Amino acid sequence: MRRDRGWIALAAIGVGLFLVPVLWEVTDFAVFYLVFLSGILFWVAQATSWNILSGYSGYFSFGQGAFYGVGVYTMAVLFGRHGWNWLLVILIGGVLAMLLGLGIGALAFRLSSLKGEIFALLTLAFPFILAGIVRLFDAIDGGQGVVVPVPSFPELLAPFQKFYFVLSSVVALLALTVAYLMHRTRYGWALFAIRDDEAAAEGLGVPTFFHKMIAIGANGLIGGLSGAVVALNLGFVSVEGTFNLTVPLFVIVMSVLGSRNHWAGPLLGAVYIHTLQNRLAAGGFEGWSLIVLGVILVVLMLLAPEGLMARFTRRPALAGGVFVGVIATLGLLRVWGDPVSWLAAALGAVVVVAFLPGGRTAEKRSEETSVGRGASVVLGEDLPAPLLKVGRPIVVAADVAKDFGGVHALRGVSMTVAEGELVGLVGPNGSGKTTLVNLISGALTPTSGVIELDGTESSALPPHRIAHLGIARTYQIPRPFTSLTVRDNVAVAIMFGREPRRLDASRQAAGEYLNLVGLGGLAEALPGQVNLHERQLLEMARAMATKPALLLLDEAMAGLNPVEIDNAVEVVRRIRASGVSIVLVEHLLRVVNQLSTRIVVLDQGLVLAEGDPGVVMKDPAVVKAYLGRQTDAPGD
Amino acid sequence: MRRRAPVVSLIAVLLLVITACATDDSGGSTTEAPGTTGPSTTGAPGTTEAPSTTAGGPSGEPIVVGGTLALTGGLGPTGVIHQIAGQLFVDRLNASTGLLGQPVEWNLVDDASDGARIAELYEQLISQDQVDLIIGPYATPNILAAMPVAERHGYVLPQHTSVLAPAMTYACQFPGWSIGPEPNVFIPNQLADALDSLGGSVSTVGLVTNEGGSTSFVSYGPADNDEVQATDTILPERGYEIVADISYPIGNTEWGSVATELQDADPDIVVINGLGLEANGLIEAMDQLGFDPPMVFALFPAPGAVLSLGDLTDGVLSVSIFEPNESILAEMDPEAREITEEFSARVEEAGLPYTAFETQAAASWNTWEILTQGVEGAGSLDQQAICDYLHENGADLTFSGHVDFDPEVNNFWPTTQVLKQVQGGDWVVVWPEDSAASPLQGPAG
Amino acid sequence: MSELQAAIFGALGGSLFGLMALGLSMGWGFLKNINLAHFAMILLGGYLTVDLATNLGMSPVATIVITAPLMFLIGALVQAGFERFDVSEFNSLLISYGLLIITVQVVTNIWTADYQRMAPEVNPLAAESVRIGPFVFPAPTLLAAGFAVGLVVLAQFVLEKTYAGRALQAFGQDRQIASAFGIDHRMLGVLLAGASGASAAIAGMLIAVGEPLIPFSPFDWIGRVFAIVILGGIGNVQGTLYAGLLVGAVSGVVALAWGPSASPLVVFSLVVLALVFRPQGLFPRKAGH
Repeated sequence: MRRDRGWIALAAIGVGLFLVPVLWEVTDFAVFYLVFLSGILFWVAQATSWNILSGYSGYFSFGQGAFYGVGVYTMAVLFGRHGWNWLLVILIGGVLAMLLGLGIGALAFRLSSLKGEIFALLTLAFPFILAGIVRLFDAIDGGQGVVVPVPSFPELLAPFQKFYFVLSSVVALLALTVAYLMHRTRYGWALFAIRDDEAAAEGLGVPTFFHKMIAIGANGLIGGLSGAVVALNLGFVSVEGTFNLTVPLFVIVMSVLGSRNHWAGPLLGAVYIHTLQNRLAAGGFEGWSLIVLGVILVVLMLLAPEGLMARFTRRPALAGGVFVGVIATLGLLRVWGDPVSWLAAALGAVVVVAFLPGGRTAEKRSEETSVGRGASVVLGEDLPAPLLKVGRPIVVAADVAKDFGGVHALRGVSMTVAEGELVGLVGPNGSGKTTLVNLISGALTPTSGVIELDGTESSALPPHRIAHLGIARTYQIPRPFTSLTVRDNVAVAIMFGREPRRLDASRQAAGEYLNLVGLGGLAEALPGQVNLHERQLLEMARAMATKPALLLLDEAMAGLNPVEIDNAVEVVRRIRASGVSIVLVEHLLRVVNQLSTRIVVLDQGLVLAEGDPGVVMKDPAVVKAYLGRQTDAPGD
Repeated sequence: MRRRAPVVSLIAVLLLVITACATDDSGGSTTEAPGTTGPSTTGAPGTTEAPSTTAGGPSGEPIVVGGTLALTGGLGPTGVIHQIAGQLFVDRLNASTGLLGQPVEWNLVDDASDGARIAELYEQLISQDQVDLIIGPYATPNILAAMPVAERHGYVLPQHTSVLAPAMTYACQFPGWSIGPEPNVFIPNQLADALDSLGGSVSTVGLVTNEGGSTSFVSYGPADNDEVQATDTILPERGYEIVADISYPIGNTEWGSVATELQDADPDIVVINGLGLEANGLIEAMDQLGFDPPMVFALFPAPGAVLSLGDLTDGVLSVSIFEPNESILAEMDPEAREITEEFSARVEEAGLPYTAFETQAAASWNTWEILTQGVEGAGSLDQQAICDYLHENGADLTFSGHVDFDPEVNNFWPTTQVLKQVQGGDWVVVWPEDSAASPLQGPAG
Repeated sequence: MSELQAAIFGALGGSLFGLMALGLSMGWGFLKNINLAHFAMILLGGYLTVDLATNLGMSPVATIVITAPLMFLIGALVQAGFERFDVSEFNSLLISYGLLIITVQVVTNIWTADYQRMAPEVNPLAAESVRIGPFVFPAPTLLAAGFAVGLVVLAQFVLEKTYAGRALQAFGQDRQIASAFGIDHRMLGVLLAGASGASAAIAGMLIAVGEPLIPFSPFDWIGRVFAIVILGGIGNVQGTLYAGLLVGAVSGVVALAWGPSASPLVVFSLVVLALVFRPQGLFPRKAGH
């Protein structure tokens, strides 16, 4: 496991920012550099806060301008027009923007249809709406713009540029700290899981709504704080100047360029873009600025679609060394340019270095740490007995029906699953098996009928609560979190399971479940690198990690060859032996026969027969239902 | 993955070559006004070339004047006019005596119309590049953003386009374009004076206003103070009833609706307190509707914009501090004529559609003159000395005469603003009568 | 009556925005690209129209004979690039933004940052209008509406009646399955992008006929065009046109009743409401979409 050194970088940044004004007092370098750095820090705060929502959770937002604008106008009106205390106003600006974010979240996150591009477009509307409101009310702006005078600040922080630098640093550091901490704790990991597969995450016990609200709340808060601070430097605030597309677009550019997956990605993007823009404006590139910027954007996005940080972390020592080296050399020689030019040159050099072939890619790193893969997975020790009572009913479904428009997937199914059972759920295609699984796991709600889980009626519960009641499920087509390693997939399930643990403890504990299913040797691989069978085993391990009372296995053997099937059967046995009850949805009748204590046969949305496997499978009605509609499944 | 890199590099090179060719082949790119250097490869701040010194001309270390302009972005169209005017000034200065005997360099940076970058760029010019002097950017919001930076460093800020007197509180800010300390009072009164002379043929007004800074101020006064008089109160007091009062945001496209509302109200004069191409949009929409108001007044149109509509805009009124009408030029120094002709030549070469040296360019000229006269008068580059000199002595402007700066009114000198009107396809000064090149034409039809 | 006239002005103007939105919506819906370069092509098309009409004496409308094929090529090339590099949906946003700002700078360098407009002699349409009863239909936007309707009808026909069109619909619904059925999505995508580019050229011509252009113009268009894309439903051909008309009409009437400042506020509030209650777009898709 990689040891986390991020906190060192964060601390270094904090210390560095603290030292800058001190250095300035001592060496008296041009005050412009404080202003230049403040500019970068503004973008760091905005881009990082955007990334907390959009990069981490995948909910792409075009609305950063709304949070920024709320902050700016709060300062303009409360301080600029009414003379309130600027510190108080900064906090108010942050809180108001946060409330806006929570409002948007409450609106958007409740509706499952509002994902992806729809969410992005929804957020795009808000800066325009806010612009309209601000224009409409003379008390806020009315269109003429608002003058923001220079505040009075403590003598210690004089002159203004230093004062502003300190404020900018505080907000930027706050942003980076929040992003970093989220990256290291469940708050961030919930978002990564949501990004990769929200439904699967919810099914594992991640309270997705709650965590998305935290993300958008943080986004709003920091965006608003930063906006309020920058208003002090703008001097004059206008609707067109505040609510245009610059902020929304550039936070996206910076975060994507830097890397959306890393807490310091937006920081990197902000440094690059701001430095570049400054050089282009001041460097006499008349008629070329936008061309150069555009070309660089295009080229970098094509060469490094996952962002620059992803590239730099392949050879961090070299990147860091080149950066420091170039700046030091240019600084000492002093024959060319000025500090900002040196910075630009160093950044350019690092990019060139980063794109040299070689280096440790994420794939290589995981390959290095994986033990060699044999033809089959290796099953480890048995798990200790779990925490369950004996024999009570876990699932009671009473006359459950589910319609999809005109399609009656289930017409009235009643069944029970009791502790200790391994119930085989079989039936021809379209009989409603997966629908029933979805109903039990809470992914769907019944059209009519009642499902009780451990005595509690479940139709009003969100899937993550059902998971906490002890129901886990796997998917027929595995849905791992593709950007997380095998180990981390399981760790997420532990972090949000019935006995939640912290990140490092979860990663540790994940090993046990991997051993249960035999994936111990592939712990550091990415799901994309393992085969179908291994991914299905991962599904099982992940589900087991939530410590369920009941595991719903939805066609876990689909697409496997006979050897793999045997292995899977063995794993299911081990799972059962650990005391977890199982509902096994399967087409492979020999497997069902081998494993089940009881069989339930569904046909056209109704229970056709149930009972002992040997007896039921000879029932003429069952035989007719099968043979009349399909031949035996392949592999049988 | 590795195979990408060569392809991508090739694309990048291709893109750069294509755009380079596009840039070089252009007949005269606006951003390459004569005298400027092309892209600098060393990253040194963009400078304008100081011409080789001729015997008897300025010599020695160049004095650097720093400033930004909107050369791209939404304010670009007018920003480039100030670029050309300023460049002409510097070239002429360097061709004669220079400033304090030294050549002048103009370190001009493109702020891309982005107010948020102004502060940083001016800080850079002042504290990093350490320019000797500064000159303001284009458009009121940007000037307001630059002002605190100038004040912080104690630099004199001559600026050419903010007439929003009450907001320009820095004592060493000097306007090149002044509509007096109360443009909100002066403009409607001047207009009413002119309309009075038409003997009652105009009595109702349709007031259409851009909600942004200076135009809204002229129409309504400050947003948070109802006591202050402005167009909406003064015109009625002068006997002109306002029958329609419409305001619109920057970037408005709903001219059809505004025109429809005006048609319903049927005013004798439509007063468009707007900027840029807004008057064009409204005039065209009214024309399409078949509504032809007897008179139209446009406050701050982009130079030449109104003229591009041809016959449609005959008789449109506007304000100006200078128009290069023959009769006016004839009464001025021959130098003035020279300047206007050289300017026109440069603008034409740059490929801009409208080539006359009018109010925007004149405002720029005024500003440069204020700056250089302040320096010459103070005899040094000491900012406080320059500021004091200007306060004590004012300036002698080629196109606006002698002006004095009273800090009590934020240095906004008594205006020399006149009214101009489109006659025969060109702007001519029509009011006040003693400055007019041609009489004011009354309502059409 | 005035309201109706304002609605007419607005709806006609809105049809032009709908036309602009069409290409963007198609690309987003079928090709999963958010292509800001579409605005670059509109801008270029407009400037070329002004240039060709002014310098070569062509009728402005006739310039599309040159600009449409040119933009077809450019659109196709950009899409080919996206395909070749397997660009993800949101990365396409950034790359196309880069292309947009490059185009803005090139346009600035060639044609100056000042506004460009065809003189009345070159573009007599600008001042004309059609009168039907008491109502006025300005010629430039009427022309735009005509083109918009025509293109939508054409697009609808192609999508429903031709193999390529139906293949595109399939591809838009499920890429993997469609590919499995042997649909060459690359060629289809390139053709679609080319067609979008051609539509952009036409939109640019129509804008140039009606108003002055500055290089910065695309950034004024983006908000409204996206609003129309949302309301029309991403990838919904007819819906985009209706949304353009609706947004235009609403905008015009609101501007008359409450002032032009209220228009964007109302339009974007509508967008939020629409997304909450009908995220697939206000207008039903015809069967087969």
